[in-house]
Amino acid sequence: MIILVLALAIGVLIGLVTNVAVPQEVLTYLGVAVLAALDSCFGGVRASLEGDFDDRVFLVGFVANTLVAALIVFLGDSIGVPELYLAAVVAFGVRLFNNLGAIRHLALKKVGWE
Amino acid sequence: MRAISRDSFTRLRDESVRRLEASEKAAERQLRQARLRSSLLAAFLLVGFLVVAQWRGAESATLDLESHSDQDLAIIIEELTASNDELREEADRLEAQLTEARVDDAGLQELLNEAARELQGLRILTGLETAYGPGVVLEIEDPEGVLLAQDYSNVVNELRAAGAEAMSVDGNRVRVTSGFASDEDGIHIDGAHIGKDVVVYAIGEPETLEQAVGMPGGLLPTLSAFPGVGVSVTLRDDLEVPAAPDDFFGARSAS
Repeated sequence: MIILVLALAIGVLIGLVTNVAVPQEVLTYLGVAVLAALDSCFGGVRASLEGDFDDRVFLVGFVANTLVAALIVFLGDSIGVPELYLAAVVAFGVRLFNNLGAIRHLALKKVGWE
Repeated sequence: MRAISRDSFTRLRDESVRRLEASEKAAERQLRQARLRSSLLAAFLLVGFLVVAQWRGAESATLDLESHSDQDLAIIIEELTASNDELREEADRLEAQLTEARVDDAGLQELLNEAARELQGLRILTGLETAYGPGVVLEIEDPEGVLLAQDYSNVVNELRAAGAEAMSVDGNRVRVTSGFASDEDGIHIDGAHIGKDVVVYAIGEPETLEQAVGMPGGLLPTLSAFPGVGVSVTLRDDLEVPAAPDDFFGARSAS
């Protein structure tokens, strides 16, 4: 778990050092995609804690989630409902909180507090 | 013995198979664990990077025009238009100045030379510089003292009218502010007394001056008509008229 936080920190550090700024046109797309990726990550952590983690499933889910998220935003922009990205944000947000809740639950169980 | 050995063989084989399977399983579990770790690590790394990139992008987006409201944009456009106009005006003005300066620069030396020449001339005319040149010397003898201040004024005026550029009366430079006056001691120019034998230097075209002085009704006949007064004119090539002291009171021009 600590190692994952470390990986996140290193990723942040790389971002800070390379100083890459997402162009404004794809800001919304990538934003939702990042949310989806984050959801996948916590889903993976949850799965690993539950013992049914499969790296293939995880990687496919990771890529597919981000792509679908960006696609939903693109679809909303294309059909004149740019607010559609809100649907993706809400969906992934809810999943994120669910996963986080499950992780907390499992982690506490592991430690023996529950 | 034989049966025992076969039995034990079977057991041994089963044992080794079991161990092999166990170690294989362990290896597989380790591999799974490694894959889990590495894929999660990679995913988290990527997410961290993306979050920062996104944050940077969002930060720069707030500085962009698209994030402003229509009213804000209208104000921005108005301000830009105003400052554009101002800048254009300034550019025009500076360009005009530049052209002017270029022209000035070309004519500046000429102007300076001309100004220097003019200044030299003015300094001579105003009596601030010692003047050299050809001219005439007027010697006026008045042993009985019949000549008045205005007679000397007439002398100077006549010479000036004839084109004299620099004059001195008994070594006193005649300036634009010069004046003759008389009191019980006699005649004086600018406070300096002049004797009964007065020598006037006048720089100018010598022949012209001589003609002007000597023509009928001119200085020579007029002064000579006074009792006891004698006047003589001499042409000279190299007169020196001393400079007057620079003692202006301080009148200034409007500029």
